[in-house]
Amino acid sequence: MGKTITEKILARAAGKTEVIPGDYVTVRSRCPVIFGHHSFDMVRDRGLSLITKLGVKIFDPAKVIIVDGHGGSSSGGNIAEVRWLAQKWARDMGVPPENLFNLGRGGIENMMSAEHIWPLPGEAFFQGCNGHLSTVGALGAFPCALAHGAGAYLMKGSTWIRVPKSVKIVLKGRMPEKGVYARDIFEFVLSRIGPTGGMGGVLEWTGEAVNRMSMDERFSLCSSAIFTGAWTAIMNPDDRTIDYVKSRTRERFDLLKSDPDARYVAVHEFDVSNVEPLVVPPPKRHIIKTVTELKGIKLNRGFIGSDSGGWFEHMQVAAKILKGRKIPCDVILNITPGTVEILSRMLETDMLKTFVEAGCVVPDPNEGQEVGMNTLLAAGEVCIASAQTNYPGRMGSHQADIYLANPATVAASCLEGRIADPRSYL
Amino acid sequence: MNGLLRGNAWIFRGLLDIDYEICSFTLSRDLHNSTPEALGKHCMTNVDPDFPKKVRKGDFIVAEENMGYGHDHFHGCMSILGAGVGAVLCESAAPYFLRNSLELGLPVIELPGVVAAVEQGDPLEVDLIRGTFRNLRSQAGLSFTPPPGFILEMLEAGGIYPLLTRMAGEGRLPKR
Repeated sequence: MGKTITEKILARAAGKTEVIPGDYVTVRSRCPVIFGHHSFDMVRDRGLSLITKLGVKIFDPAKVIIVDGHGGSSSGGNIAEVRWLAQKWARDMGVPPENLFNLGRGGIENMMSAEHIWPLPGEAFFQGCNGHLSTVGALGAFPCALAHGAGAYLMKGSTWIRVPKSVKIVLKGRMPEKGVYARDIFEFVLSRIGPTGGMGGVLEWTGEAVNRMSMDERFSLCSSAIFTGAWTAIMNPDDRTIDYVKSRTRERFDLLKSDPDARYVAVHEFDVSNVEPLVVPPPKRHIIKTVTELKGIKLNRGFIGSDSGGWFEHMQVAAKILKGRKIPCDVILNITPGTVEILSRMLETDMLKTFVEAGCVVPDPNEGQEVGMNTLLAAGEVCIASAQTNYPGRMGSHQADIYLANPATVAASCLEGRIADPRSYL
Repeated sequence: MNGLLRGNAWIFRGLLDIDYEICSFTLSRDLHNSTPEALGKHCMTNVDPDFPKKVRKGDFIVAEENMGYGHDHFHGCMSILGAGVGAVLCESAAPYFLRNSLELGLPVIELPGVVAAVEQGDPLEVDLIRGTFRNLRSQAGLSFTPPPGFILEMLEAGGIYPLLTRMAGEGRLPKR
């Protein structure tokens, strides 16, 4: 019987010839385990302080990477203390200094994991806290956040996994050329399969529309898997994946792919040729509308960033729309590149000039507003964001409204001060 | 571990996001000491403001599909524990919610049919080891595959860290 890529990766990582969904296995990984400062903060009073208290070893200090990912230089709260504690903890544990990606070298840690190829295709990959680690499933790796159990992983060098079933999503057709991006495809699929459509499983994205997507768009597509009830997401590596990986690492890898007769708990086929720019109105994550339905709703805040909409190509589309234009004085648009690499590539273009001249604020690479750590929303404010989540309080006040949309829709809407269709700007 | 849990049912309907309906995520930053006890005072309050006052130790939360929807944030699991809830019975659980809860020592049982088998306040009994559920009012019963031994051990210890603490005490973890 055929196997899915997920089953093959987990069998390899568990040292077994094969696994089937529902099996409990102990999994080890050659990859580093990564902590954003945000996740370091969340787990430090749980597992990490226990490691210190018990005086036990961590499995391999050289395989711990700590990234200043969610706060950025402009965030407040206890981030200064967290930065300092993370450095001190790393030193005490023997984590090499070059494994610390501090301010100036950081960015959203799951995006950096993709850029640095911290997981190679065919490997299981773990992080402290970050449900959007599914992003790097686009490399053909199995990504999983450890969350509360992160400290236990550090002590044991392994974790338990209940082998998940797989849900295959086949995207047929050609995406519309104007104003529609991977995040619209995700919202379209979410609207069809619903918030339990991926329940407990792994979303395996396949099909001609996926094959045509750039790596930036594939990462974006994989980043939101949890909102379908899925655990994580994955893609079968193709030539584009292999080129991306080989251009970034010399390490050898042994990729895995699903067999044609692999078993899926469900297979969903969708034609994406007629998908429109979509918007997720507050406060529920799974209720999806078209931009046409919500056009005209007034807003005064925008955010382009996050692992869903903060990749280089998203900066490009924002620049295309904003070039030579100015946002109204009563609108604040935060455009945050996801990583230092993206910012560096932007510096080779005139994008930053475009954003500054348009009246946007461009913080250093981080998750930032997405997770309510900078440029917070006040009660009564209305924001449109290329971010992941819209529950009350996500970006500040519980009385602020968050609409989610693709980066083009955010840029166009901020120019008009109301939700706008980006297609007329492209 | 005898694995026998008894308590009354609190039914919550609809999709329960770990970061909103179960417990506002912002609280995990706003409360400087986000212990289960502190978070427990806010458990489910965005849905039922009085829940933390009404729930009694050992009661069950009964939920529909995808309990703990969304992120891998475990403050919500801590709030349920801190409110005194003995176990969560649901049609299905979000994968990260399930994993975090078990590692925190909170039993979460995916039990299809449970919502139809329970009315608000019903006295319930769950045997984790035998994999049985019984509504003590209606006598309706359901069964489930019991968790494997290592998860039962984790639940009995009160979570993965109490278990590792015990292992360290027994010299089963290498010293720095």
